[in-house]
Amino acid sequence: MLILTRRPGESIYLGDDIKITVLSVQGKQIKIGLEVPDDLPVYREEVYLRVQEQNRLALQLSDQDLFAATQLWQTEKKKK
Amino acid sequence: MADRKEEKVIQTRLGTLAVDMERVITFPRGLIGFEDCKQFSLVQLREDSPFLILQSITHPELGLLVADPFSFMRDYNVKLGNAEQKILQLESAEQVAVLVTVNIPQGRPELTALNLTGPIMVNYQARIGLQVPQVDTKYPSRYYIHGENGEMPKPGAPRPAGAEGKDREEES
Repeated sequence: MLILTRRPGESIYLGDDIKITVLSVQGKQIKIGLEVPDDLPVYREEVYLRVQEQNRLALQLSDQDLFAATQLWQTEKKKK
Repeated sequence: MADRKEEKVIQTRLGTLAVDMERVITFPRGLIGFEDCKQFSLVQLREDSPFLILQSITHPELGLLVADPFSFMRDYNVKLGNAEQKILQLESAEQVAVLVTVNIPQGRPELTALNLTGPIMVNYQARIGLQVPQVDTKYPSRYYIHGENGEMPKPGAPRPAGAEGKDREEES
């Protein structure tokens, strides 16, 4: 991992079009400003990892469970 | 022969399947964790089922169980940023359909859960898809569709898509 030291107000460029600025440091919290191309999504790591895990879970599927889940859904729909 | 649809037979986790290539959805950024897979087909399992398979055209093992969240809940707003709208080539909110991934724990269909934190948005006119992680924690990553946890979430303030300014600040 490349490690750089920056002070509040200082920036780092990634390539030509991504600029990361350390805005302020307050205790354990660091406020970061990101200037990125407007078609580049930015995610927090924990959100990204959660979605990745949920995608992985959506792959595990047995025909039997799917059939049962559909049956349950139909039963509940009739109840309404 | 000229009016014949362009079909391609692909391998899926459910066996071979003929896919109408005009209906293939392109995910320019892939799916999260599967960034290299960019072409998917939506496969309806049964006419009377809310569940669909989002099947990769190129990777047979990559078929995710997804569902229309509105079959299970009324209130679900997805927040789309400017970057996401641009990738989806959206001009209006009506062009976009929402899917969420579904997890059925093995042997426990009563614990079927929708993942509301990683909705998959599809511009169905341009056939472009994008998974859009939600920072808003109002919606759980596991929304149980049956049983005690399956009640409707509290309605939140409506969030018009793309109503954000250029400098947005997110607190976490």
